[in-house]
Amino acid sequence: MNSNLDLKELWAKQETGIPDTKDLFKRVASFKRTYLKQLVYANILLLLVAIFIVLIWYYFQPEYITTKSGIVLIILAILAYLFSYNQSIPLLLKSSYEMSSADYLQQLLSLKRKQQFLQGIMTNLYFILLSTGLFLYMIEYTMRMKLPMGMVCYGITAGWIAFNWFYIKPKTIRKQREKIDGLINKFTLLTKQFSENS
Amino acid sequence: MDIQFDEIYKTYWQKIYRLCLGYVNDADWAKDIAQETFITVWQQLPKFRNDSGIGTWIFRIASNHCLRQVERNKRIPRLGIQTEIPEIIEPSIEDKTAFLYQCIAELAETDRLIISLELEDIKQAEIAQIVGISEANVRVRIHRIKERLTQKFTKHEQ
Repeated sequence: MNSNLDLKELWAKQETGIPDTKDLFKRVASFKRTYLKQLVYANILLLLVAIFIVLIWYYFQPEYITTKSGIVLIILAILAYLFSYNQSIPLLLKSSYEMSSADYLQQLLSLKRKQQFLQGIMTNLYFILLSTGLFLYMIEYTMRMKLPMGMVCYGITAGWIAFNWFYIKPKTIRKQREKIDGLINKFTLLTKQFSENS
Repeated sequence: MDIQFDEIYKTYWQKIYRLCLGYVNDADWAKDIAQETFITVWQQLPKFRNDSGIGTWIFRIASNHCLRQVERNKRIPRLGIQTEIPEIIEPSIEDKTAFLYQCIAELAETDRLIISLELEDIKQAEIAQIVGISEANVRVRIHRIKERLTQKFTKHEQ
């Protein structure tokens, strides 16, 4: 096929300057730095919040078991969030590029599905733990208030939790889903391209 | 290992760049993917066992980096990283070459990889190993893609 030769010739005419390997290594270092920074900031911030809550326990010496369980649940919520956050980034970095493209797409699909599952479960768990924790934590302090004030306090908190539960949570989950679903669809389409006409 | 990597880098840079350019048809983006490929090569080289040829191995890594580009549909620098890559002046290439790359970038994603590897003069058995489909399937696809490309060229030249 004459055009075959022409195409190969045309193809090979495309060349570009070779970037210095130093730039390549700079990029590796910069990638590691950015990635670590993100991970460290999120962890430090949330751990500080957890320490702050523990200090409240220490200094104010709550008497009720509900307050203590509330604090434990809030800390668990923070840990659940951190666990999910710390898992999601390395999950994708762990993917191996050395397999055949068909296998690689399968791997990406299964990683994305895992991520989707983890996010769904963890977001629900986070909201449940946080809301219940807060509810329990408040009991002791509201009991010390007069009834109307207590009702206002619970009313506001219940409203805030409801807002989170019915608006923020579905929105967060929907956003996460849309993003991952879009990618899963694209990877599925790519996988289909391999099986078509075979 | 660094000497070995330097050799690999020099030998394969243009080939990998062309594969990436065939996939995205955007010089800067293609350079980005090519660089990501060589970062993976550099990281994984100590673990490389000679099960497949080094070429097959590198082209697999590059093809998979290309497929991964669906995650980056907007032209934003990856992870916000901007390294100072010296501006390299592109040699002006013929219209026909530019048209070929444009036509390839319009194909289905997996076809882009297959034809790019074929035009890079890689054996069909090896292409089959890289993309993970049968050799017969590779042969059929290459034939079809070439037909389409030839048609486009004929139309273009009229």
